[in-house]
Amino acid sequence: MATVKINGKEITVEDGTLILEAAKGAGFDIPTMCYHARLSKLASCRVCLVEIVGQKKLQPSCVTPVMHGMEVLTESPVVKSARSSMIELLLANHPLDCPVCDKGGECELQDVTFKFGPRNSPFGERKRRFHEEDYILSPVIIQNINRCIQCKRCVRICDEVVGASVLGSIERGAKTGETSFVKEYLDCDHCGNCIEVCPVGSLMSRPYRYQSRPWDLKGVDTVCTYCGTGCQLTVQARNGEILRVISKPDKGINNETLCARGRFGYSFINSHERFVTPMIRKGGTLEPVPWNEALKAIKDGLTEAMKDGRKTGGIASGRLSNEELYLFQKLMRGVFKTNNIDSGSRWNTGAVKSFANVMELNKGGISVYDALNADTLFIIGSSISDENPITDYLIRRLSRNKKMNIIIASPRGLKLDSSATLSLRHRPAAEGDILGGIAKVIYDKNMDKLKDLTGKEHLKNISRENIPDLTWTDWSSIESVSGFMLSANSITIAVGNDVLRGPSRIESMHILAEALRLLGKDVKLFPVFDRANQRGAWEMGVHPDILPGYSFRDGDGLGSEGIIDAASRGEVGALYVVGEDIVSDFPDGGFVREALRQVKFLIVQDIFLTETAKMAHVVLPGASFVEKDGTFTNQEGRVQRLRKFIEPQGDAKADWEIIASIGEAVEPSFHYGSVSDIFKEIKGAVPMYRGIDFEGLDGNGAIVKGSGIGGQGAGVVAGFSLRPKSEVRSQEQETPDPEYPFILITGNHLYHSGRLSLKADTLRDILPEAVVEMNEEDAKAMGVSKGDKVKVKGDRYEATLTAHINKRSVRGVVFIPENFTDVPVNMFFTKGKGFPRVKVLPLSSLSPQGRGPG
Amino acid sequence: MNGNHYNLNLKDILKKVFFVDLIQGLFITFNYTFSKTITLRYPDEEKWIPYRRFRGLHTLNRNKEGKELCVGCELCQKSCPTQCITVVPMQDKTGKGIADRIAYRWEINLLRCMFCGLCEDACPTEALKLGREYELANTSMQRSLWTKEELLAAQEIPVEFDGGVIVRARLERDDKGLKVIPDMSVQKRWW
Ligand code: SF4
Ligand code: SF4
Ligand code: SF4
Ligand code: SF4
Ligand code: SF4
Ligand code: FES
Repeated sequence: MATVKINGKEITVEDGTLILEAAKGAGFDIPTMCYHARLSKLASCRVCLVEIVGQKKLQPSCVTPVMHGMEVLTESPVVKSARSSMIELLLANHPLDCPVCDKGGECELQDVTFKFGPRNSPFGERKRRFHEEDYILSPVIIQNINRCIQCKRCVRICDEVVGASVLGSIERGAKTGETSFVKEYLDCDHCGNCIEVCPVGSLMSRPYRYQSRPWDLKGVDTVCTYCGTGCQLTVQARNGEILRVISKPDKGINNETLCARGRFGYSFINSHERFVTPMIRKGGTLEPVPWNEALKAIKDGLTEAMKDGRKTGGIASGRLSNEELYLFQKLMRGVFKTNNIDSGSRWNTGAVKSFANVMELNKGGISVYDALNADTLFIIGSSISDENPITDYLIRRLSRNKKMNIIIASPRGLKLDSSATLSLRHRPAAEGDILGGIAKVIYDKNMDKLKDLTGKEHLKNISRENIPDLTWTDWSSIESVSGFMLSANSITIAVGNDVLRGPSRIESMHILAEALRLLGKDVKLFPVFDRANQRGAWEMGVHPDILPGYSFRDGDGLGSEGIIDAASRGEVGALYVVGEDIVSDFPDGGFVREALRQVKFLIVQDIFLTETAKMAHVVLPGASFVEKDGTFTNQEGRVQRLRKFIEPQGDAKADWEIIASIGEAVEPSFHYGSVSDIFKEIKGAVPMYRGIDFEGLDGNGAIVKGSGIGGQGAGVVAGFSLRPKSEVRSQEQETPDPEYPFILITGNHLYHSGRLSLKADTLRDILPEAVVEMNEEDAKAMGVSKGDKVKVKGDRYEATLTAHINKRSVRGVVFIPENFTDVPVNMFFTKGKGFPRVKVLPLSSLSPQGRGPG
Repeated sequence: MNGNHYNLNLKDILKKVFFVDLIQGLFITFNYTFSKTITLRYPDEEKWIPYRRFRGLHTLNRNKEGKELCVGCELCQKSCPTQCITVVPMQDKTGKGIADRIAYRWEINLLRCMFCGLCEDACPTEALKLGREYELANTSMQRSLWTKEELLAAQEIPVEFDGGVIVRARLERDDKGLKVIPDMSVQKRWW
């Protein structure tokens, strides 16, 4: 602790606190330009100078820590005049074209000048001008280099947080320094974080260009619904028209950062492609009808379809709010008397149950900051840099200044590899064997201490000899991962939802975590989800075997796969699908289409006419994330508020209202008036939510608390059994086929999430068409280079795509994002067969001039 | 109390008897009847053209090359105490304006305007000036809403014209209301 006097006011702060922060705490305002709390310190602008009594030279307060007994003056005449001349220097070459500058009204240079700056300037020389016209750097960034004040915040955030490092200074020196792209724009994440931190109007948003002034905008702080990271963002609109999304430095786990999807993926809200009235299938086509007619049709249709004991089922999206998901499962279980419910359709239902159990989701959430406070971070089962960009940014930023070993295991090369101590490239679907291998090494080395390890018999299947075959990774890498874990005191294992594609991977994870815990390590398991409210969906009980609040049950309920199977046999009378495009997601596009044709009565609720909606008998227009209230629970278990900002378009309604009115149509007592009423009921049903105050949820949300069973590490819930491994192995293992040398994997692209983001025009501009990503050497061997068209052919589907090269991906694997309607990647899949095998045929040999510009 | 106050002297009595005051008054009236007229015959024949400093209907102006001076900065809107201006900017690369930023919409609701001129003061490009048009009465609320196109149109009283004179004018009626059309060539000073 240090006691310092600032402008005569005595305060005590932590040792090492910067003078700047101490002064802010004491209520004194020191201007800054180059300083940024979460970036490395540069101290180049010198507008933050302060006087330290006894020292002749003024010191920059943004890098000078306090010392006990120090006396600091922030408002002395020397400081004032020095500060004012520093600002004058910044303005000397600044064009001062505020009237045309988009930053006007929220410009830090304007603010600092008005508060602390000179009122006139003796500089009469011509100002430096690099360019007469603003130029376009990327689909989202437009730059006016003349306004740049060389604070390098953009360079630092792009390098230290985003990890793209595409910005830098061309030519150094006071007069010529120009900060701009030094790499191709293809390396850019299009995250817009450089725009967010630029204090002046040098880097500007293209979609927001010349749209408004900040004072005209009305905004709402809400949560991003694209991925499980759960970033806070502020949606701003002028006269009801949404013009931009910004992030706020003091809000959320993400602070000033957002990814491309969060920042630029909003324009689907006003898309003309949305359908905004309920529609009923009449003689083959969907025709608009009023709500009461649609509800009546649903009531009649359900009664009719459920005759002869046919099954009912419901599939809801992990992008709905907790309230909607809770109501949905209540409707299905309580009114339709079925446990056939699930969220999403890509995963193995049993795997989900084991996952929830092993990850101990019922023990409450864990803040990502706590999770990242570990000696070793092991990431597996997630293309985290693409699926959860801000989680990637957080890891990169937080690991920069501390000793943390980051180990990444994934088939694809990830941007985060550059921050990793070790990256394992493994065969798709081999997560279980990787985890098992690590556990095996740890077990072998500590056999005496691990006598009681549950499930150790499963490790017998793994050996030094079969690991390369099973995982395409060598034993020595597995050994070094184990080494890092054994030498660490605290270990966080971040597990992505790829492990949910089959159940075997989860037990290995459990064995590994148990082994480490038995060795006295502090092990945290951190789930990484691609759907924003996946965790909420399970917490609300949208799963055949999970009741609200993780009451596990063993029953006859069917998950998505079971429902679709039953449908294919003609057993499903009615299916209610909310916000989920199962036709595009279920890993066998042909099968699910056929199956849905057999469903007597299909109700689909969504905001676009998805492939699934096109097959429905009744479609209901739901609301987008700014058109409804609710809460979302992100991967950490943090409950955050979704806030309504505009009325739903046309006749569309909030999804909870629709679910409630369907319930009410069948069962009049099923009545809900508001989201907070539903939340009250959730608090009763889900003990983890009891402590959460719906109205009081602010920018940081609230992390759900365990239901009293104990913290993480208290062991798996009694009665839960790990599946026998052999049964699973046979399902997942595909036999190599020389004709189809590549394994095809899929997932979200960095710029897209689900199918929704494709309707946001800015994101579509960034990546308009599907790509296929492959290893560099594989590409070379086929004579394919970046931008070439290639044909990807499986045994049941083929598509022509643009090739992207990923230098660090494993050989023998190609990746196609699942986000593109024209390349429905699930058509390659065959149900029950794991990842499909494909071949890649370069088209450039057919048309030599067909080579793209790269 | 002084009783003198109620006493009339002979002179006053005579004045009253012979209506002297009345005749004097009528004489002035009579005189004016034959002197030069100084009443402004507005709106039928004459119209007062105010000085440049006058604050009448807003005008949007162009530079010498004919480019729009307004860059859609919204400062006029921000400075207006009655919030009667709406500006929506846009990007324009065709060279219509002095910058690539121009006003997409520039609207004023004159019913709220109090002609304080703060908007003119705020305008950084001198695009916005309060002009000399003051015949703004109308029969429909809608007519009080003026848009960019109307305000950019050539002004009846050119900016170069000094003002402070009376000119000949003629009154016209049409379905939009009354209009007094000045003829700048015939001027006179009012004093
Ligand atoms: S958009 Fe993101 S990745 Fe691109 S330059 Fe800016 S900060 Fe870097
Ligand atoms: S572009 Fe903006 S953030 Fe980057 S150095 Fe210039 S002023 Fe700073
Ligand atoms: S990281 Fe996820 S939650 Fe955050 S802005 Fe991106 S998509 Fe949204
Ligand atoms: S003259 Fe005054 S009241 Fe009228 S528009 Fe301008 S600022 Fe507003
Ligand atoms: S009239 Fe002037 S102040 Fe108003 S928007 Fe145009 S340039 Fe800005
Ligand atoms: S803010 Fe301290 S030197 Fe720039």
